[in-house]
Amino acid sequence: MSEEEHVLELLIGPQHPASGHMRLVAKVDGDVVVSLRPDIGYVHRTVEKLAETKNYIQIIPLIERPPLADTANHNLGYVLALERLLGIEAPPRAQWLRTLLAEMTRIHSHFYGLGIHGIMLGSSTAFMWAFWDREIMIELAQRLTGARLTYSYMIPGGVRRDLPPGFEDEMDKALRYLERRIPDYHKIFFDNPVTRARLEGVGVLRREDAIRLGIVGPNLRASGVPYDVRKVDPYCAYPELDFNVVTREEGDSLARMMVRVGEIRESINMIRQILKKMPDGPILEERYLKMIPPKWKEWMAQHRRIKLPAALISLRPPKGEAVARVEAARGEAVYYIVSDGSPKPYRFRVVSPSIRNVVLFEHLIRNCRVADIPAIYGSLDYFPPEADR
Amino acid sequence: MTDRRWSSPVFRLKGHLDAILTGAKYLITPRATVRYPEEVIELPEGYRGFIEYKKDICISCGLCATVCPANAMKMYVERAAEPGEEAPAEEVKPKRYPGINYTRCIFCGFCVDVCPTGALEHVETHDVAYEDFNSMIYPPGEFAAGPPKPEFDTPPRRLRPTMDERRGIAYEPAD
Repeated sequence: MSEEEHVLELLIGPQHPASGHMRLVAKVDGDVVVSLRPDIGYVHRTVEKLAETKNYIQIIPLIERPPLADTANHNLGYVLALERLLGIEAPPRAQWLRTLLAEMTRIHSHFYGLGIHGIMLGSSTAFMWAFWDREIMIELAQRLTGARLTYSYMIPGGVRRDLPPGFEDEMDKALRYLERRIPDYHKIFFDNPVTRARLEGVGVLRREDAIRLGIVGPNLRASGVPYDVRKVDPYCAYPELDFNVVTREEGDSLARMMVRVGEIRESINMIRQILKKMPDGPILEERYLKMIPPKWKEWMAQHRRIKLPAALISLRPPKGEAVARVEAARGEAVYYIVSDGSPKPYRFRVVSPSIRNVVLFEHLIRNCRVADIPAIYGSLDYFPPEADR
Repeated sequence: MTDRRWSSPVFRLKGHLDAILTGAKYLITPRATVRYPEEVIELPEGYRGFIEYKKDICISCGLCATVCPANAMKMYVERAAEPGEEAPAEEVKPKRYPGINYTRCIFCGFCVDVCPTGALEHVETHDVAYEDFNSMIYPPGEFAAGPPKPEFDTPPRRLRPTMDERRGIAYEPAD
């Protein structure tokens, strides 16, 4: 038989393998994957085009939909770009509250990724555990924002709610619980010989390839590149926080998983620092605060919430463009807005971390076994809706 | 760099045993989830659930319908009396009131936050099952009649979640 006849084209999907619909087109020779091409776009939601038909504030719930699990970080990226366009800056306390929610979201988004990775490897224990521990942060975020995932918490000029009473104590207990839990995760999943055998040395991404392909986030840091937007282009309260950029040298699937675990630990430390150092003060920018009538100001202080001034719902930023980037849980997210002076953006662009990491499917899943496809896929924490937008 | 220890069968056996023992330890811990229709988790104060509408203090400004990102809130034109009827001019004049379409609502709460008189407020319920599509659409009159209430065959036990160092979230009876 010729070389050609050995190779079979295997269409995996379109289906919902674990997180959003996609299709993988694999060329297999027996059990060996010769090449693999991701076929994306099944969950495209026209976010960029839809944004052109909406007021600036209405875009906030819209951009939270694609990266579900990691909503607050994307919300933050958009709001930072919009604030640059408007020439305003949120007051210090609002900046710290934003950082708090961003880190809480990072923890539950990483647990989500770890759980999905677990079920892809066939470990339903890891899946159940991670999805339960994710619930801890979701419950606390719900008390802070009023919603489980789609917080719409950050608005131009500030945030919508202040810390609820007793939040610090509850958070402290939650963080101590998570810290107790991580050693058990090591025993049952990360240091389980089955997990090690499935992940170690599988899908190795070399440092120079990671840089050449423009990989972002934990996937990049697992290949030994200490690149983190929170350090290289700090925003909100990050310059005042003491944290390490978690890196690993190996670049294999296990390293990518362990970088996420390390980041959960770092986020736990960061939340402790945030709650200790958070300054007092208003949570909405002065010019908007002035528009709120005095009777509502009392109500706001009592309920620890803000009232949206009518000016915020029909924002007309000056002509121009603005770009902002944040370190979302899955990597660097870039938001770009072009304004023509009307209440709707002329052009809106999102570069999400997942679309920058999708190239890894083609690059990493080559000359490996068919069973390695889910092992590598899960380790990338790739989220199709975030990539398709 | 692969950890060399993993090439030793003894070390791997220890890894398997650790995993099994950890699993066994969690066999005796209480269940994390609640049995939903019999037990209901109490949602925190300020939860963005269904919306309560107080028509008497509504000033018909329409900000809620303007801000709604999902077009769920819509202003309906209403007249207290039809033109031509024997009625004061004030009642014949059309007035606009918001109605809500819960098939579209995403519970972002912007309408509640923007309402200048506080005529809109969230309630802390979210679990209502509808039998048909149209009953999820509330014109102003029905909207003002109050938010939908969940119905249970037997009154459920209400549980309040609190953070717990050992279990993550512990549920305590709320009443």
